[in-house]
Amino acid sequence: MRVLAAYNIKGGVGKTSTAVNLAYLSAREGRRTLLWDLDPQAAATFLFRVRPRVKGGGHALVTRKRPIEAALKATDFDNLDLLPADFSYRNMDLELDDTKKRTRRLGQLLEGVAHEYDIVFLDCPPSVSLVSENVLHASHTLLVPLIPATLSLRTFDQLTRFVADSDGPRPEVVAFFSMADRRKRLHREVIDSIPRDGGRVAETVVPALSIIEQMAERRAPVPAFAPTSAAAKCYEALWAEVRPA
Amino acid sequence: MTSAPRALQSADGGPLDLAAVEGALSADFTVVTGPARAVRQARLDTFDRRLDEAGLTLEHRSSASGEELVLVRPDSAPPLLSPATDLRSPAFAHDLPDGALRAVVSPVIGIRALMAVTDEKRRVRRVEVHDQDGKTVARLDLDEPVAATSTQPAEVRVLSLRGYDDAARRTTRLLSGIGLRPPEAEDRGPADVPSPEDMAPAAAATVLLAGALNGYLGAMRENLPGLLDDVDTEFLHDFRVAVRRTRSTLKLGRPALPEVMRSRWEPAFKWLGDLTTPMRDLDVYQLDLPTMSGWLVAAAPGDLEPFVAHLQRRRSAERRTLVRGLRSARYAALVADWERALTDLADTSSDQTPDQSSEVLTAGALAGTSISRAFRRVARDGGAVTADSPSEDLHSLRKRCKELRYALEVFTPVIDKPARKSAVGDLKALQDVLGRFQDSEVQGAALREFAEEMVSDGTSAGAVLAMGELVGRLDAEQDRARQDFESAFARFVGPATRVRMQRLGGAG
Repeated sequence: MRVLAAYNIKGGVGKTSTAVNLAYLSAREGRRTLLWDLDPQAAATFLFRVRPRVKGGGHALVTRKRPIEAALKATDFDNLDLLPADFSYRNMDLELDDTKKRTRRLGQLLEGVAHEYDIVFLDCPPSVSLVSENVLHASHTLLVPLIPATLSLRTFDQLTRFVADSDGPRPEVVAFFSMADRRKRLHREVIDSIPRDGGRVAETVVPALSIIEQMAERRAPVPAFAPTSAAAKCYEALWAEVRPA
Repeated sequence: MTSAPRALQSADGGPLDLAAVEGALSADFTVVTGPARAVRQARLDTFDRRLDEAGLTLEHRSSASGEELVLVRPDSAPPLLSPATDLRSPAFAHDLPDGALRAVVSPVIGIRALMAVTDEKRRVRRVEVHDQDGKTVARLDLDEPVAATSTQPAEVRVLSLRGYDDAARRTTRLLSGIGLRPPEAEDRGPADVPSPEDMAPAAAATVLLAGALNGYLGAMRENLPGLLDDVDTEFLHDFRVAVRRTRSTLKLGRPALPEVMRSRWEPAFKWLGDLTTPMRDLDVYQLDLPTMSGWLVAAAPGDLEPFVAHLQRRRSAERRTLVRGLRSARYAALVADWERALTDLADTSSDQTPDQSSEVLTAGALAGTSISRAFRRVARDGGAVTADSPSEDLHSLRKRCKELRYALEVFTPVIDKPARKSAVGDLKALQDVLGRFQDSEVQGAALREFAEEMVSDGTSAGAVLAMGELVGRLDAEQDRARQDFESAFARFVGPATRVRMQRLGGAG
């Protein structure tokens, strides 16, 4: 089982779109795929038309009062399951803080379903927190969507240092540009100038396309409702770059 | 992901009424019915139904929208799906798409090929069952045969989605309201066909022998098409097992069988066994190659490529000889005459009942004397083996062990079952050691022969050197097997086995 996390300290950069579309593509290839929506805003859960509710909330999951399997929901797509968000996840830092090995609990919970899935995606809330530390320890790859702006580069720098300073095995960091508009000079300059020594930067650039915004209206991954669209092709190219062997 | 589907059929197994299905579900759900798709459904399994035995159902479904493999598992685990393009039958495990489905199927089928055991065109309509949020909470497949002659009736499969079991249960209840029911349990055949376990020790020995020999003839016939088509190596293996069992049964049955069995049929089946041996030896090499490659230390696995090519050429040539032999008039006459001979034997047997004549040898008596003689020979020959005995003595002992093993198998219906099971276990441990010894020697000798052929063909030194490494490893394995022999034999002829053999009539 390989774990990929869509993560960035900043919000609104395309984490959920990335996790949802890549998870769909993984499942479409026949890989047993799970997406865990860790963000209490529950955007990924909404996109899959699943109710954002976990019995017993984040507390029951983190404390293992309820097995993680009991909370899993099938999506409308073959091979793709969802562990839904719950509004109580806003307190997940506190729940984790009360556990033993508080920075590794999410990874331990995922080990319980390792026999059922080939790929797990984590859709993370935007923050640097105990949840983030858990995500670092649980993941093999951090997928970091970046909007091509100067501040994004600074955030990316902070993130790579955060990963470098963490103890234990570290995930591979793969950044890529998201919501890019090549008509904007600044976007072009940032894409061309990003330092490539702090982490891997994917070749694929996901443009700002209205069809990606339509995901919220269609409540489905882009390659499911617009399989021949430019956005679907972009996500396919990105998946080809980051897909585990 | 979905759980194992639940099938429902109309009471008479007739066509399904889509409007009635939609109407029944509309009380609680919104339903979205897709177009009817023509789907070709091929159920895949090995010839000996390994998937079925393991409770697995693998289907290759092809339609205009693509091809997929669907593996349904015995528990409530969700079916595994995998896209499949250009999958041809027969297919080996390594031909399946990489992923979870292959990981489950591969250890079950091993080296056997998957074949289409049924292949039918169906008309399938997918019905999505939605809740008020538009989320799919269950799925139905309305699956109907295209041909009126189909033996598979129309059915609705209710697919439960993980986390939505209540919706699937509700769906099933609503469908039962319009008369759909789970299909009757499959009829597995008439119960009054006597199984070998039913035979009394007092039955005439020829009845038991005729039944066993008929079974082996059936196995030869069943495996012949796959053998001729070279579907996988196990067709030849199982064919040879049937021939070997026939030969052993003829030998064990000599006291009860007519003289013609010895004079005509023993040599006939020896010819058949010999015809199949060269090809089987080469199959064993091909199957063992991956393991052998792993033994290499100085050489690289790639160095063996000329050897692999040489083996394939030899195998092609041997296969032509084998196929010619099995398609010859001699083979056809052998099978036809053998079937008549077995019919005659069965007719004679039915006239013989121990109640009518005390002269008739019973199955129980023949079992006792055969097992007794076979065990005595193993004990005698094995006891004479020393550290300096030539290899031939161990090879000869291996044959004696096989005779005992076949005696324990042939007479299974009339001997003590628990004692037999334990005795086979004891014997198997000894046979494993002797098998390692002989296989190492035979393979080493053959490797030397192949190397000489390849050198005369101008093969590179690298391949021959790599083969030399394999010979060294086989020699060492043979030495280890010889060292293990003494303790394995001592265990086999120990008091525990003797007690068991006494119960089987064999320690006399």
